[in-house]
Amino acid sequence: MKKECIAMLLAGGQGSRLYALTTHIAKPAVPFGGKYRIIDFPLSNCVNSGIDTVGVLTQYRPMELNSYVGNGQPWDLDRLDGGVHILPPYVSAGEQGTWYKGTANAIYQNMSFIELYDPDYVLILSGDHIYKMNYAEMLSHHKKEGAACTISVLEVTMEEATRFGIMNVDEHDTIYEFEEKPAHPKSNLASMGIYIFTWSKLRQYLMEDEADPRSSNDFGKNIIPAMLAAGEKMTAYRFSGYWKDVGTIDSLWDANMDLLSPSSSINLHDTDWPIYARPAGVPPQFMGETAKVSHSLVTGGSSICGSVENSVLFHSVTVEEGASIRYSILMPGAVVRAGATVEYAILAERAVVEAGARVGAPPGGDDWGIAVVAANVTVGAGCTVPPRAMLSEDLKKEGK
Amino acid sequence: MNDLHGIIFAYRSNPHLRELTQPRNTCSVPFGGRYRLVDFMLSNMVNAGITDIGIIVHESYQSLLDHVGSGKDWDLSRKHGGLRILPPFSFAEQNGEYHGVLQALSSVSSYLQKIRQDYVILAGGDLIVNLPVSDIFQHHLDSGADITAVCTRTPTGSDPRDTVYCTIGANGLITDAAVHPNQPEGCECLQVYILSKSLMMSLVEHSASHGVISFSRGVLQGMADTLRISPYIFQGYVARTHSVRQYFEKSMDLLNPAVRADLFNPQFPIRTKDQSNPSTYYGPEASAVNSLIADGCIIEGEVDHSILFRGVRVAKGAKVSHCVLMQSAYVGENSILSYVIGDKNVRIRSNRTLMGHSTYPLAIAKNTEI
Repeated sequence: MKKECIAMLLAGGQGSRLYALTTHIAKPAVPFGGKYRIIDFPLSNCVNSGIDTVGVLTQYRPMELNSYVGNGQPWDLDRLDGGVHILPPYVSAGEQGTWYKGTANAIYQNMSFIELYDPDYVLILSGDHIYKMNYAEMLSHHKKEGAACTISVLEVTMEEATRFGIMNVDEHDTIYEFEEKPAHPKSNLASMGIYIFTWSKLRQYLMEDEADPRSSNDFGKNIIPAMLAAGEKMTAYRFSGYWKDVGTIDSLWDANMDLLSPSSSINLHDTDWPIYARPAGVPPQFMGETAKVSHSLVTGGSSICGSVENSVLFHSVTVEEGASIRYSILMPGAVVRAGATVEYAILAERAVVEAGARVGAPPGGDDWGIAVVAANVTVGAGCTVPPRAMLSEDLKKEGK
Repeated sequence: MNDLHGIIFAYRSNPHLRELTQPRNTCSVPFGGRYRLVDFMLSNMVNAGITDIGIIVHESYQSLLDHVGSGKDWDLSRKHGGLRILPPFSFAEQNGEYHGVLQALSSVSSYLQKIRQDYVILAGGDLIVNLPVSDIFQHHLDSGADITAVCTRTPTGSDPRDTVYCTIGANGLITDAAVHPNQPEGCECLQVYILSKSLMMSLVEHSASHGVISFSRGVLQGMADTLRISPYIFQGYVARTHSVRQYFEKSMDLLNPAVRADLFNPQFPIRTKDQSNPSTYYGPEASAVNSLIADGCIIEGEVDHSILFRGVRVAKGAKVSHCVLMQSAYVGENSILSYVIGDKNVRIRSNRTLMGHSTYPLAIAKNTEI
């Protein structure tokens, strides 16, 4: 059945800059904000914007992501017509199967999926950003401007602009130039990695791009420059509001901490634009006699008897009596035993910090950074995990 | 396990729960921070692999319908079987509510005839319990009994005049029952029964033709000589809430880790309607001890010995102790609440002081603003 606009979500990224957090799972499946995974944000934005057909392009470590998205029920994307579809790379009859060579190639390989819905427009999303956005408003901007491509942009400082793909625009916000991480930016409009294309145009450029053996088949490097060079109408859609790339340990930690800040504009308690997640089905959290919790998010199934300050705790976390958690992120099932200290750290799923151990430290020194304990890893009793460490194997005290 | 069919009785509206049952029947009374009473029995059945469940309702079941919906939160939204809500098929022969299980069953007899399983489990929708339904069914098959009745030797604290007690004879079978006596006598019957579909159909037929409406009087008392009725003694935690005070006490039981471990066994989870709440936020000056708190709350004041449901807000300076606050209740700045049961959407404005007592908790009806 024909759809006006469908979304294609690029979820194949390895997320190598998240190191130990993505050795077992794809980046979009990384837990975020106490209750969610990163992919919940673009999926919920789609549903809240009235987009009911979403292709999720997976490649790297897809198992957990596949089972998490499942039939799409938590996002109301379990539809007879449309709904959410996982799209892994595949082999066609008589051809050599290939991985997705780049973001554009991933879409190219799934053109037949897109054409099932005969859409006028295709929304391209990525699975590594935290934000709330009404794509319907972006689409009406795209239609009003009669553009071939609309790119959502965020105003950043000139200093930050050197780290982004920057759109140089005229007085009507029509893009005349795109610069990837310019040393001397001419504008402060950073691409958010969210594109709306008129499908007939995109289809044409994808075919041309695929035919070019020198192309790296990437939207930013190839498709956008090619369309600009050909004089297609490209327009910037200005977004103001919270948006964060959570592709690094630091930015992931920052974005979680932003949820605790009343001044950050991402409010998850806002019921007008809910973010949906697959429910964990756990009982309410329990605060023990000795619990001390302040300025923190705590989630169901957790049992807290120690002190928790400025932290984000996911479901089924245990913090025993005398343990202290500060400025940290504890993912589902993490356990911190009696007397242990966890500061400026990320404990991944089911990580265990045994009694009296210490993970991370407050900022200070040149080599400081967030400490990370990977999923299912145990920090032995009395052990120390220094700041910026990336612990991916069990740690035991010497001589034991 | 596909040979067992579940039937849940959700037709009672207990007047002793006062404000709590004004907008709903007993089975949809909120409990434990995020559940409705019916969630326990529904989950018990689903956890035993039961795929077809009928819920018999009679009146004020709007809230229950809204809660269970299509049954998808219990994986009961199926093409074949799944969850069925069973209102009275015909009002002609009834006036008022059903007076007994057999009467309720006979009023949905056309549904019963279509049950595709050989066995049925009959249970009330207001028991707070994590029952091992698979084990009970196996016990039933192994014992060769006509009926298995689930009993407990630990008093649930319910009023004897509202309870059925079983007498277990020397042969290990139930020989008699005391229905609503003045004093507890023997083993408390949870009124959860497993029997074959064919026996149930003949009991329903018998009850219709003889005017027997109560299972405990008609079957446990009346047929103990002719049927083999085997008790299954359940050892775990079980609770009922027959009054506001009891509702309060049973809620506070959840602050005991042993009770929680029993009821919320991760192997046999209690499922409920998902509401997509974010995590609960504790403000810089918040304090929360000895409390069970659901997701989606914003706590900026002090909470002690309390049960908070999803989306509750406790403003700065407010003190909440020994309270049960249901979904989306709001406590304004500097208000002090003690021994209060605040129903859904109750709004306590700033600087209010509300005090109940452990023997008489103050129940505030749904949507009240104070």
